[in-house]
Amino acid sequence: MTMNQLRLLRWMKRRAENVAVALLATVFVSFILQILFRYVLGWPVGWTLEVSTLAWMWLVLWGAAFVVTERDEIRFDIVYSAVSRRTRRGFAIVTAMALIALLLVSLPATVDYVMFMKVEKASYIDIRLDYLFSVYVLFALAAIVRYAWLGFEAIRGRAPDLTDPSHLRDE
Amino acid sequence: QDKPTLKFAAVFGDTDIRADAIRNLQEALSSEFTLEPHFGATLFKQGTELVALQRGNLETGIVAPQDIAKQLPEWSVLTAAYLFRDADHLKTFFASEPGKEMTKMAEDKLGIRIIAPVYFGTRQVNLKPEKEIKTPADMAGIKLRMPGGDAWQFLGSALGANPTPMAYSEVYTGLQTGAIDGQDNPLPNDYNMKFYEVTSQIVLTSHLIGYDLFAVSKKTWDSLTPEQQATLEAEVNKAVDWSTQRHLEEEAKLADFFKEQGLKVYKPDVEAFRQYAQQKYLESDFARDWPEGMLDKINAL
Amino acid sequence: MSLFSPFAICLASITVLAVLGLPIGYAMIGGSILYLLVQGQDLAIAAEQLLQGLRGSFVLLAIPLFILSAELMNVGSLSNRLLDFCNALVGRFRGGLGHVNVVQSVIFAGMSGSAIADAAGVGRLIIGMMTRDGRYSRSYAGAITAASAVVGPIIPPSIPMVLFALVSDASIGYLFLGGAVPGLLMAAMLMAINSVVAHRKGFPVEDPVVLRRLPMITVRAFPALMMPVILLGGIYGGVATPTEAAAIAAAYAFLISILLYRDVSAKDAYRAVLSSARSSASIGLMIGGALVFNYVVTIENIPNSLSALISGYDLSPLGFLLIVNVTLLILGCLLEGITILLVIVPIFVPTAQALGIDMVHFGVVVVVNLMIGLITPPYGLLLFVVANVARAGLWPIMRDVFPFLLALIAALAFITLVPDAVLWLPRLLGYSG
Ligand code: NA
Ligand code: NA
Repeated sequence: MTMNQLRLLRWMKRRAENVAVALLATVFVSFILQILFRYVLGWPVGWTLEVSTLAWMWLVLWGAAFVVTERDEIRFDIVYSAVSRRTRRGFAIVTAMALIALLLVSLPATVDYVMFMKVEKASYIDIRLDYLFSVYVLFALAAIVRYAWLGFEAIRGRAPDLTDPSHLRDE
Repeated sequence: QDKPTLKFAAVFGDTDIRADAIRNLQEALSSEFTLEPHFGATLFKQGTELVALQRGNLETGIVAPQDIAKQLPEWSVLTAAYLFRDADHLKTFFASEPGKEMTKMAEDKLGIRIIAPVYFGTRQVNLKPEKEIKTPADMAGIKLRMPGGDAWQFLGSALGANPTPMAYSEVYTGLQTGAIDGQDNPLPNDYNMKFYEVTSQIVLTSHLIGYDLFAVSKKTWDSLTPEQQATLEAEVNKAVDWSTQRHLEEEAKLADFFKEQGLKVYKPDVEAFRQYAQQKYLESDFARDWPEGMLDKINAL
Repeated sequence: MSLFSPFAICLASITVLAVLGLPIGYAMIGGSILYLLVQGQDLAIAAEQLLQGLRGSFVLLAIPLFILSAELMNVGSLSNRLLDFCNALVGRFRGGLGHVNVVQSVIFAGMSGSAIADAAGVGRLIIGMMTRDGRYSRSYAGAITAASAVVGPIIPPSIPMVLFALVSDASIGYLFLGGAVPGLLMAAMLMAINSVVAHRKGFPVEDPVVLRRLPMITVRAFPALMMPVILLGGIYGGVATPTEAAAIAAAYAFLISILLYRDVSAKDAYRAVLSSARSSASIGLMIGGALVFNYVVTIENIPNSLSALISGYDLSPLGFLLIVNVTLLILGCLLEGITILLVIVPIFVPTAQALGIDMVHFGVVVVVNLMIGLITPPYGLLLFVVANVARAGLWPIMRDVFPFLLALIAALAFITLVPDAVLWLPRLLGYSG
């Protein structure tokens, strides 16, 4: 990869992170507004709940697609971290191929479902569900690309990263 | 030949009267169908049953008319407050010509076959403050919990209240702590969720005849022989009638029970509520999509 | 269930993919797609369940918000002030910093629903204090940090309890209350063990903080100490639902770190939010995977079959609880807590209900059990975290954590046998179960 490509990739990564931060901020701010409206102004509104649940749904899929790194992933690593690098590369190739195959096989039906959802709208913000749900397709495509890359790297001789538990915040 | 397997999904829980009715149905159909019930929205989340039926992922299920109205705005007339007078009126409507017109529309446009309306009680206002309620004006400023979604919230304002969305499972604590002043549900729900422990009165506004629809995926329906269709239809109707009867008995009993628990249970000026609500609906965007003359036809039945 | 039934294939593929190192969320999505494929069902059901599940389960919103508030507390000086306060309180006893470690976790627990955030955040500071000058061994410092972090999600608020409420429909508010007494009991037992070990090994005492400095230290830590009060007061005083309280917690952490203490730069704040977004996404995807797999479990009628099987043995409620405890303790050695909570626990819930076991009691027992699983080898996430933070070997930490583990299991046995220990406080505040 050339320097420019690398720079572009890093730039895109930072923009993806901006989006994730904005989504989490949206969850947070709409909740705070909900509390303000309900308890301070005595004027309950419904849209805050809808906005925060949709932002959370987007945060999960967008984040999983573009922001979560291999080190952040939650995995069952008793075996994985105990084997040799060579074996781990083998593991990575097998799991990448399996996941890519399964995601690809389900992709047409998934796209069909997402498009079908144009029949419904989010009730307050008036956005069609096919637009809102399209983030799953993004996620599936990103996962396919990411695992193709990881599998390719493993074939070329690079062992995949381990999960770093001090990075996890899962309980 | 194999018996057709019919997965069934509903939001109501395992211990609901309607779950008993479905188990009766399962038994009655057992020689011709394998009915596999899933209660408590475990298979498909609340509000997603309709799409599951449409896409053929679910064979039979209970669909809320509000969910149908999301895709078919004409149906919003059937979700309006003070539309049906009682369970009988509801049943009469769905058996009538205008009723068939509406179910035919759902069949053609959404791909679901509606068999019968499933009554689950009449929604009444249940309040914590002791203030006496006679007319919608008395509801001003009352934080009334209503289910989420703009149609439900509108219903709350059509009662003159200040509608607040809140998850059903948080309503008890919400009432207890005063985060909300009241909620609206049929009496059996007030009993099951123990709302009577944390409220002081039930205002018998009877603002909405609560019902869902027993629906079959059109794909499934069309794959059945005419005999199978007839059997299914007859048995569903039998089960639904039984369930309706049980609900009516239960509601009558519960009104007395709540009085024994020290709650005030009384009728407000229902006519004033009816006029206020129907006016609100007719002025709203919802009424724009209502089929011409449908409201009058329903009122005339 | 036959060896080659679609469900067995699904379960096996998830297990194999996870063991080979695929992140658990992806493994559950992949295995479930394989099930749909084998069954000839609509392959879009995976997407449908994940999207509608995340969109429709509004209690889940508490998770990113609690993560955010824990993260905001860990930037800036809030943790330092808290430690000063704990030191003034219990540092003067033998094994003082061990006690400080536990008391700090109890206070942190009242602000956060996350054990990992405690161990990796404040834990880092206190491990540093304990191992400076070699006064405590690295492994002991790590062990007591891990053990005390376990109480975090048991004392309210709590992310695992939010998830339990999701799978059982129990009230989050009362679950939170139910955890308070068991959490304090566990902390007391940890301090007792620390005392015994301290006397035996001659651990140091800290210089007693002179009394006239105490008010100053308290004032410095006061805004942080108020957080549990605001949170719980908010929930039980009727100002907010438990989910809204999570947002209030985050707002409060944000306000005191950034506006009051003023030691968090805009860049730090951005990093904290980004890091929370990242964790929320990786946990969220695992929850999403569990939602998809749950569809398979439901359609296969696994909970009902298990219910039928168990009722065939004619178990008493207590017998059932003991079986659940043993099963979960074993699974907790191998699996990650959220996976167990979302995939295994729902299978037990209908039986527990049928046996008339109170859902708040059941929920607290389950959560205590799963949190103990965070320090049971081989798969104890907290052990890995503190090994990493304390730069100590996993074996010495496991050895030092053992007495604490026994104490926590004893506490678990106690609350299993005595439901009132859990239910007393919720009932006092209006729980009618
Ligand atoms: Na600690
Ligand atoms: Na906590």
